[in-house]
Amino acid sequence: MTTGAAVRSELRNLYISETTAIAQEFSVTGDGRAAVAKRTSLVDSIVHRLWNEIIVGSQPATVNPGSSNPGSVPDSGPKTFALVATGGFGRGWLFPHSDIDLLFLHGGGSSENDFKDSIRHFSQELWDLRLKLSPATRNLAECEKLDPNNVEFAISLLDCRYLAGDRELFSRLREKAIPRLVGRECHNLIQNLGEITRARHHKFGNTVFHLEPNVKDGPGGLRDYSVANWLALISAMEKLKLWPDTNALLPASSRRALDAALDFQMSVRCFLHFRHGRHDNTLTWEAQDEAAARKIGTSDVEITSAADWMRVYFSHVRGVHRVCTQLLEEIPAAWSSLHRQFQGWRSRVASDDFSVVDGLIFLQQPGGLRDPEMLLRLFHFMAEHGLKLSTTTEYKVEQALPALAATPPRGAELWLYLQETLVQPHAADALRAMNALRLLTLLLPELKGIEALVVRDFYHRYTVDEHSFLAIDNLHRLKESKSEWDKRFAELQSELEQPELLYLALLLHDSGKATRSDNHVELSLQLTNSCVERLDLDPADRETVRYLVASHLEMSAAMRRDVFDPANVKSFAEKVGVPERLKMLCLMTYADIKAVNPEAMTPWKADNLWQLYIACANYLSRSADDRVHTGGDVANLAHLRSLAPVAGKKINIFLEGLPQRYLRIHGATDVLAHAEMAARLGQDGVQLSLKQIRHWYELTLITTDRPFLFASVSGALAAWGMNIVKANAFSNAAGMVVDTFYFTDRFRTLEMNLQEWERLKKSIASVVKGEADVARMLRDRLKSEKSDSTKIKIATQIEFDDGCSANSTLVQVLTQDRPGLLYKMCSLVSKHECNIEIALIETEGQMAIDVLYLTSGGAKLNAERQSVLGKALRDELEPK
Amino acid sequence: MTKVEAIIQVSKLDAVKDALHEVGVEGMTVFEARGHGRQKGHTEFYRGREYTVDLIPKVKLEIVLADEMVEKVVQAITTAARTGKIGDGKIFLSRIDEAIRIRNDERGDNVL
Repeated sequence: MTTGAAVRSELRNLYISETTAIAQEFSVTGDGRAAVAKRTSLVDSIVHRLWNEIIVGSQPATVNPGSSNPGSVPDSGPKTFALVATGGFGRGWLFPHSDIDLLFLHGGGSSENDFKDSIRHFSQELWDLRLKLSPATRNLAECEKLDPNNVEFAISLLDCRYLAGDRELFSRLREKAIPRLVGRECHNLIQNLGEITRARHHKFGNTVFHLEPNVKDGPGGLRDYSVANWLALISAMEKLKLWPDTNALLPASSRRALDAALDFQMSVRCFLHFRHGRHDNTLTWEAQDEAAARKIGTSDVEITSAADWMRVYFSHVRGVHRVCTQLLEEIPAAWSSLHRQFQGWRSRVASDDFSVVDGLIFLQQPGGLRDPEMLLRLFHFMAEHGLKLSTTTEYKVEQALPALAATPPRGAELWLYLQETLVQPHAADALRAMNALRLLTLLLPELKGIEALVVRDFYHRYTVDEHSFLAIDNLHRLKESKSEWDKRFAELQSELEQPELLYLALLLHDSGKATRSDNHVELSLQLTNSCVERLDLDPADRETVRYLVASHLEMSAAMRRDVFDPANVKSFAEKVGVPERLKMLCLMTYADIKAVNPEAMTPWKADNLWQLYIACANYLSRSADDRVHTGGDVANLAHLRSLAPVAGKKINIFLEGLPQRYLRIHGATDVLAHAEMAARLGQDGVQLSLKQIRHWYELTLITTDRPFLFASVSGALAAWGMNIVKANAFSNAAGMVVDTFYFTDRFRTLEMNLQEWERLKKSIASVVKGEADVARMLRDRLKSEKSDSTKIKIATQIEFDDGCSANSTLVQVLTQDRPGLLYKMCSLVSKHECNIEIALIETEGQMAIDVLYLTSGGAKLNAERQSVLGKALRDELEPK
Repeated sequence: MTKVEAIIQVSKLDAVKDALHEVGVEGMTVFEARGHGRQKGHTEFYRGREYTVDLIPKVKLEIVLADEMVEKVVQAITTAARTGKIGDGKIFLSRIDEAIRIRNDERGDNVL
């Protein structure tokens, strides 16, 4: 019997009318699960009918005829041949425009040849009905083998469902062949499934937070739901060697997250298919508006805007993504020896508080999270080692949150942990985990408004919170990148004195987008103020974070002008003021643009940013001698006078003639302290202050200028074994100098012996007063130093510039850093009767970068003196 | 129909876009570009390393117009992009045979 035109027409009418009914019902109820079940049932009935018409009707005389009654369940029919639903159809998940995965299963013998034409006919009828059929024909033996080029087929068998034909053959497939396949190939299946899933996640930037997400293939989408179930199923089947109870595959907490998401996601995908009239799973902005208006999947939640609805969407997919990625970590670990070895290595990072098993963090003391510090240490541990939280640890965190919410940690205690976390290489992942568990917004409520927030523009691909995490991650990933641009910016990053401030600024820079406004920066700044106050940052650090948030668009704006135009460079550099801020702003711009979307930071933009940075950095080192004139309009002066009205005159005298750079480097507190020290010069001609700031010490010297002064202090510090990493030397109109040396204590002399602080100051004072012989002190120290231990050789470069200053000649020296270098160099300069007006000393790794503004007899150095001094410096500094 | 390709300074993009909107141009394609004509490159030293830029950053605009619009548009671009210095850029005009809107197969000036 062949399928006649009447049957074809009947089925077409049935399909159209039923599909219309399903769509109408969905438009009323919005129930995706019901729509999917009904379409599956509809296609089941069509397939059964065609099976009876085409396959049963065409079977050779040698096989037993089955029932040909339309609509009956055809459990009889040709022997050694069965029709099996696989993949989404097997699961009973036929979305309105899903493909229909069918397996024509043969038991061997001649059935493949016997039914070849019938299968073609059967498939053709389905295609003619406009059903998108994905057919596969295999025999039982083929199903039991893993084809490395088509792992997807083996995976699709995990959802197999009997449709028609030889039921016993299907049983052999399901009960024997598949368990044997999984038992034998579980490693390969898991590994391939992991690779396919990771590649898919990578395609979507490894984040669920897309502005226009794909509800099926995007991270956390329906595909991830299936992957989580397959991973759990394969793992259980490998152990049991038979089909496990599917309800007990996953821990209850994971199952809850998945089940809550599934109903929602099914409704959303049905909505998209009906809306687009095709197999399109992209949740476009227009679709989001409509879904929010129709409250798709969210009838019991208050929805006032598309942004609200998207937050519900993200909360579901985030849960699915978390379970899926956790299983991707957990399950392979049990088998792979290489993976095992790697995880074994990772487990060695375990501490008294945390253990690491298969790359997942567990708590040593489950009750420990009641202590907020332990909670903060947990995420610091995660950020440091790049590990994920185990399901049980996440559960414990969730349990600890209500108590924490009552008295959340704040102030310096919180900032201490937060800054340590932000600078760790996997900080972004730790922040994402904190955000997913609602801990981040509990600690930093300023971020609440941007949580999973979709702000629509044509450039951004991710939600605002994810954009901020990605920007932080972009900076952390610079070091390991092979890209030319990343390497350049990585160098800058390694030079940062306080990277934690930059990371905090990146976390907050778009917080103001929570409120619709033309200028989100203003609101971001308000939120930043509240945040840095609550974290109790040092005043100078607050100012830096505030500055970065307020200025985070400035460098992009300067790039839109001519980056080679000296006027543009001057204007921007002066606005930034100091090299450290310039570095931070440059890195912030780089990370921010790169986090917009993967293509946003083009080589064109990276080059422009770099050119602007180096032009401004050079400008800042070549314009350091613009002087302060207290009678003029200097913005900082009014502020200083307001802080210390009584000391107004003293401040004026102190500041008159100091370089503007001095005011840019030192905050108001420092300036007032220095003015006080200057006022005491009458009692003691050498005023010194020594303090420890983070990992280095800061020595400030205020005294009357004299030859060899800067060199002598440099030499004395070197003689004490200190490593000068940075120094500034400035002088005012009255001939008073303010020299600041930042050094590290190589031998921990000051750290181990508190009485040595005073002894060091006395030693420096006696050198300044000419009572101690610095050359002899240094000789003794250098004798005890080991000989050349440098790994990287830096060639000495000396460059004179007469054009950048009205009164001084600038000399820039780049050379190999070594003990006593500054002393040697500055002594030589003084021996050649040159006065150091300004010194800007920096060390980057093994390279010393020293800029000196020199005069001789109160004027610039003439050509002859430059030549002689240059030769002398070269002879002294070139490695012998 | 005429295709206008204008290579201009980066700093002039906003001004040119505004000028084009004023004369009724609703759409354009903008490319990041590098190049030089008589204007030569730029060298900057930083930390002892030389960073030479042989090709100066520019932006290139492409617009396809009905013929009667061309002179107005050229005038708008030159006025907005001109500084009078070397490096202001160039405008190239070329004939276009046909324009087709992919969405609905529409052809001719209406597509523009």
